[in-house]
Amino acid sequence: MTAVPTRTPARPSGVGAQTRRLVDRYLLLVYTTLAVVYLLVPVALVILFSFNDPAGKSNVVWQGFTLKYWLHPFSVDGLPEAVGLSLLIAFLSTAIATTLGTLIALALVRYDFRLRRTSNLLIFLPMATPEIVLGASLLTMFVSIGSEPFFPLSAVTILIAHVMFNISFVVVTVRARLAGFPRHLEEAAMDLYANELQTFWKVTFPLILPGIIAAALLAFSLSIDDFVITNFTSGKSQTFPMFIYAKNRIGVPPQVNVIGTVIFLVAVGGVLITTVSSRRRR
Amino acid sequence: MVHQSLTTGPITRRRVLAGSALAGMAAFIAACGTKGSAASAPASSAAATAAASAETPTEAAAAATPSPELNWANWSYYIDVDANDPTKHPTIDGFTAEFGTVVHYSEVIEGNDEFVATIKDALNTGKDTGWDVITLTDWMAAKLIRLGWIEAFNPANVANLITNIKDVYKAVDWDPDVKHHAPWRSGMTGVGFDSAAVGDITSLAPLFTSDPKWNGKVEYLSEMRDAIGLAMLYLGLDPTKPTNEDCDKAVALMEQAKADGIIRDVKGQSYTEDLKSGDAVLSMAWSGDMVQTQIDKATLGFALAKEGGMLWTDNMMIPKGAVHKGTAELLINYYYDPEVSAAVSTAVDYISPVKGSDAFNPDDKDNPLVNPPADWVARLYIFGALTEAQEIYFNEQFAKVIGVG
Amino acid sequence: MGVWLKRHSWVVPYALLAPGMLWLILFYVYPGIQMFIASFWSGTLETGFTFSLDNYTNYTEAFDQFSPFYARSIVYAGAATLLTFLIAYPLAYTIATKGGSQKNLLLFLVVAPFFTSFLLRTIAWKIILSDSGLLLGPLKAIGLVPEEFRLLATPVAVISGITYNFLPFMTLPIYVAIEKVDGRLVEAAKDLYAGPWRPGGAVVGGLVGGVLAAVLGVIFNWSWPAMALVGGTAGALIGWFLVSESFIRVTFPLSLPGVFAGSLLTFIPAIGDYINAEFLGNPSTRMIGNVIQNKFLTQNDYPTAAALSFMLMAGVLAVVAVYARALGTEDVSTGRL
Repeated sequence: MTAVPTRTPARPSGVGAQTRRLVDRYLLLVYTTLAVVYLLVPVALVILFSFNDPAGKSNVVWQGFTLKYWLHPFSVDGLPEAVGLSLLIAFLSTAIATTLGTLIALALVRYDFRLRRTSNLLIFLPMATPEIVLGASLLTMFVSIGSEPFFPLSAVTILIAHVMFNISFVVVTVRARLAGFPRHLEEAAMDLYANELQTFWKVTFPLILPGIIAAALLAFSLSIDDFVITNFTSGKSQTFPMFIYAKNRIGVPPQVNVIGTVIFLVAVGGVLITTVSSRRRR
Repeated sequence: MVHQSLTTGPITRRRVLAGSALAGMAAFIAACGTKGSAASAPASSAAATAAASAETPTEAAAAATPSPELNWANWSYYIDVDANDPTKHPTIDGFTAEFGTVVHYSEVIEGNDEFVATIKDALNTGKDTGWDVITLTDWMAAKLIRLGWIEAFNPANVANLITNIKDVYKAVDWDPDVKHHAPWRSGMTGVGFDSAAVGDITSLAPLFTSDPKWNGKVEYLSEMRDAIGLAMLYLGLDPTKPTNEDCDKAVALMEQAKADGIIRDVKGQSYTEDLKSGDAVLSMAWSGDMVQTQIDKATLGFALAKEGGMLWTDNMMIPKGAVHKGTAELLINYYYDPEVSAAVSTAVDYISPVKGSDAFNPDDKDNPLVNPPADWVARLYIFGALTEAQEIYFNEQFAKVIGVG
Repeated sequence: MGVWLKRHSWVVPYALLAPGMLWLILFYVYPGIQMFIASFWSGTLETGFTFSLDNYTNYTEAFDQFSPFYARSIVYAGAATLLTFLIAYPLAYTIATKGGSQKNLLLFLVVAPFFTSFLLRTIAWKIILSDSGLLLGPLKAIGLVPEEFRLLATPVAVISGITYNFLPFMTLPIYVAIEKVDGRLVEAAKDLYAGPWRPGGAVVGGLVGGVLAAVLGVIFNWSWPAMALVGGTAGALIGWFLVSESFIRVTFPLSLPGVFAGSLLTFIPAIGDYINAEFLGNPSTRMIGNVIQNKFLTQNDYPTAAALSFMLMAGVLAVVAVYARALGTEDVSTGRL
């Protein structure tokens, strides 16, 4: 018996249809290209102006090409400390927030308990609160109990604030990963006499690790770029975004563009590495 | 999809307990409140005088043995820099060489209010702010001194200050005889302009009157005392004795200029960026900034208008509770040496408050921005001190000009 | 331990939750309460603050004085959200349906701007939109816009800045939603509605094109009726070809949860933003964020600032609650689409 041919819909022909197909194929591509250009022009500008050689202090007009700021990127007062503090706080807040957030995500997805809805709400609220409100309320609190020795505004308060807003994002990211989790693998492991802790470490954790890493990357990038909340809770300390804001009054020096470009390249590199390695793993 | 409401839900015992716990916490916080700093000021100043008298023997000792470190907060680009390494400051290295103290120089101050916000809670509760020397503008210095948050100098340690300060800075009504503050640099507020676009400027009128040459390209300063001061001078009022009525008139003038489409923006020091890029051609400006912008764009200039301009100082002060007070005084004394002050002037294009320092920089002698001649000094005015009530009123009215009122 | 845990297994979720929740309670809930209390203070920094319920007038006075700012913030944030939707939707659609092997690369390009500092990006826009800069310089040289025209220090620049900065937030949820659409449904719709007459697409395209072109005309001071006509015709043509019935009837409705999520993710930070208004705007484009910042940090007027913050937060939460009621709390807070 001959196989029934699969039905291929008759393709309408004619000029109208051909035009339609051309438009269909290329218009969106053109649009996407334009959109990507739109997205990348400011980034290109930031990178370009790291090679600028301004005569004075401001870096808004192209005046000449130079590599000297790439050779001496830290030759501005306060820049190395600001970058160092940003990195330190980003690492610490990522570590803390990822741990706390993953635990919460596990609890919310795996278990049903009385406070579940309230917890869901509490996790969601910080994401729904504008940053200025978050920063202002933290400032009000730190100030009103300023007599306590451990709450002067400083790098510690910045860290506290960053962990706070990162927890919600970590929970959401990890939970998305946990939601489609194959529970039967865990059950299989436990059937094979693994106890709960072993099951977690050998089965669950490796499988949700990509989600945790994604959450950690998200938390890190949120922390390193945060300005509004940090501005309110920083006290005397200065992070890299605050440094930029301060220098913007007189002129952002090219060294800042250099650092910004480096951060961009590191992020790009990180994404490339994870993509390539995950592809290889598959 | 399960439709769940955020607000309804079973009233459980747990919820009621949680609610009452929150209410209890709230009541507790409310009961605490915050003590006024004026109330605590007499207490702290009494403690300060007691501490001062107890401290004199140790202070004399401190003068003899400077501490190993010192924390100094200042504005950006406000000190000399080494030609080869912009992070090194020869005058600071000189201080370290002479006294062995490592100075942690931090250019963290970008605004008076923003900086004081970071040390306010410590000052309010009598704790160490972490800074030994802070450099703030005269009106903020006056406010902090009024609140009792600034240490008084030990005159024996700041002899240079007392002898070398220029007379015009000596007799300020908010701290006569420079007991608490030492001017670091002084500057003028006048009119910055692009001569290629607007020609030569000699009056304040262009800031407030319409003209196609500069409509929509004029900027005001967001520094309240500078903006209101210049507006008052244009109106023929006296900025050394400001009243609420003066404030109203000045604000009305600036609001009218905004309505007429003359004003592009009201901003802080970033007006220099706009002048350099050509987005603005006329602006209220600070003298030292204009010297710097001329490097980027030669047609930019600064004018002290015929109606006058504002004179202001940024002042070194020692906050209450500073750990290294004696060494801080040594630093201040060091910078009131004319030669050291002159070294700073090589990189900072603002007026030095130290007598005799101008003699070391002959190139600057003829630059009126750094060394204003007598006829300029005659039309420079220091904005009068405001009471707390006045300050609140002025800030509220000026917020309208900035756009947030 | 294991036995004890099995018998008291109810402890486990609470134990997992406790550290993180404690952090949130201490540093989100408690500061929120503290700010609410501060909004009932009266006094100044120097004379001290006193609490009193009579100070509810802080709220009424603040609202009276600053309601224009709330309105303006809603308008700007809303306009920016709409703009991001218009830009992001076709982009997400293309990546999801035509991306193929380049999907990840394209997504990465969409998110790439995120990797530079938010402040640096906004400063870059300030340079681009400068009066004689990259955009306006050539336009003025050709004569398309008059010499005195400016984009910076206008509401347009502020809205454009907000749009640019939050574009990835809108693109990604829409992408995820469209990607999930079952291709077979779209195929079925194509078969059902096959035929040349597609009024839906033309109408949609015409409307969108016309409105966008008219807005552009208003901004650049070109004749907006003419622009509307041109844009409407162009949009109708594009819509005729592109916006198929299967799109209108299948893809778009199924992508709506992504659209809603993206809108929320854009609108909420946009309404509290003050950086764009400060860098790219002028005194009459200030948003409520600028007011709050000024009140807190410059005027030290904590009671009013706290009242304003609280009203902002309440407003945003109201919007979110309405959305949550429409879609269900679980979905909102779990972020599932």
